[in-house]
Amino acid sequence: MNLSVNVQEDSNVKVLEVSGEIDAYTAPELKETLMPLMRESGNEIEVDLENVQYMDSTGLGVFVSALKASKESGSHYTLKNVQDRVFRIFEITGLSEIIEIKAAIRGGNE
Amino acid sequence: MEETIRKNTVKYQKLLQKYIETQDEKSLYDLELISKAFIKKNILPEELINLHIQAMERIYPQLLEEYKLSMEFLLEATVFYGLALQEVDYLRQEKDVLTSEISVAANMQKTLLGTQRPEVSGLDIGAISVPAHQMNGDYHHFTKGSNGTIGIAIADVVGKGIPAALCMSMIKYAMDSYPEATMSPNKVLENLNRVVERNIDPSMFITMCYAHYLPAESKLRLSSAGHEPGYIFRAETEEFEEVRAKGIVLGVMPDATYREYELAIQKDDLIIFLTDGVSECRDGDRFIETEELLEVIRKYIDLPAQELVENVYQYFEKLQDFQLRDDFTLIVLRKEV
Amino acid sequence: MNPRSCVNIHKEWDIVGARQLGREMAKEIGFGTVDQARIATAVSELARNIYLYAKNGQVCFEYIYTNSQKGILMTAVDTGPGIKDISRVMQDGYTTSGGLGAGLPGVKRLMDEFDIESAAGEGTKIKAIKWIR
Repeated sequence: MNLSVNVQEDSNVKVLEVSGEIDAYTAPELKETLMPLMRESGNEIEVDLENVQYMDSTGLGVFVSALKASKESGSHYTLKNVQDRVFRIFEITGLSEIIEIKAAIRGGNE
Repeated sequence: MEETIRKNTVKYQKLLQKYIETQDEKSLYDLELISKAFIKKNILPEELINLHIQAMERIYPQLLEEYKLSMEFLLEATVFYGLALQEVDYLRQEKDVLTSEISVAANMQKTLLGTQRPEVSGLDIGAISVPAHQMNGDYHHFTKGSNGTIGIAIADVVGKGIPAALCMSMIKYAMDSYPEATMSPNKVLENLNRVVERNIDPSMFITMCYAHYLPAESKLRLSSAGHEPGYIFRAETEEFEEVRAKGIVLGVMPDATYREYELAIQKDDLIIFLTDGVSECRDGDRFIETEELLEVIRKYIDLPAQELVENVYQYFEKLQDFQLRDDFTLIVLRKEV
Repeated sequence: MNPRSCVNIHKEWDIVGARQLGREMAKEIGFGTVDQARIATAVSELARNIYLYAKNGQVCFEYIYTNSQKGILMTAVDTGPGIKDISRVMQDGYTTSGGLGAGLPGVKRLMDEFDIESAAGEGTKIKAIKWIR
């Protein structure tokens, strides 16, 4: 399955609209888009996961690297519209405690 | 190579002539044998066409000049095919080298990470761990303390294959340096976390559950670093109870702390630990829900522990057409007395 | 006795000229049809590299003789950007799939001997020999 990542610039927030499945094969694509933004200083990024029904640990790995990079660059990201199934793995791994996730409501905007 | 061509030149010419005269299937079959021999000797397409040109000129010395030129044209066209063929052959050899290196590494890993199910009277233990590819990114380990405490470690590193397997060796070495039987589970994880956090690639992390089973007190103490929740099948109610322990994965926060949970275990209760290779099985595009996993375990619940885990594994292996998507590790412990 | 003939490469058409010269000289000294085709293909690859990457260069041919064999030596010289990482362009297995590099492993395969010298900013010199079988 394919993954697509679109970047929307909305005033001073960059929104990454991700859709598809994030796994070992597709995670590099997300990483290539997200990481450069995280390494620049002062970026505010929202990652919209509304159209992501499946993500495995490789996908989590991308968000972990992004978190580590943000500590050095001062950029910041939040996740939004995280589907239940995907939210579950953030929760199990304890990453939901350290990654900011906006209202995890199925399908809806916050 | 030259030798093979020379040996077959006359043969090819005869077959070709016979075929042109009679169009019999036998010459085509014999031709097949020649081409197989050629392929075996790495004879390239342009050589074969050249052989054909020469055979035709000998059989029909009066050939049209246009025909001869057309064959030369064809020969030119196949030079690149010859190159492509050689490259494929080279890549195949390279792949064979890699495959055999990996299989040596996989064997080393098996020896390195090998663990034995401890023999404990009154406790029936079953464990299975199968890598999706050759090398395993899951880790499990048993220890038996002098006070009778059984230590159970189960861990899963991000991804699978070689990088995951290399990462796992780190856990093994770090664990070897701890007196784990006397350390509380949360301290084991806190120590490992510091090692992992310092040594791991930023995009990687490890989930792990560490538990002590205390036979004398019939208690299970455990801590989890973001690991897939385990379950306890309660013999009394015949229901599964989720063992959800909170804690962040290893390798992300340098000074993470972990909570220790304690559970009472009754006679015939079954304790279940697994990795997400079990809970994330997929049947085509359908995800296996936890309920289905538990139903499968229930189906085999009366079997001895080792047979139980093997049957569950076989069930999911079959469901996924014998192609595991992720490393699969399942451990069960049944209190028998 | 041992004439050296060269073709300058500036435009795509020059690749054809180089092929033609290479083939004629190969035929002249006694190469068979198959080897003529291989030599022409190798010339093409070398000349195309010059045309595509260096813009300017030369492909030369000469006969070489040893006690036991004779053959053709082709030399491709350019003053282009050079190759920074030779082992990368020589990585085998992907040239015919249109993957990496400039087809040099293919040239190496088509010929019997192959040598490359290159430095970033100073251009590239490739020598390749084919012996008569």
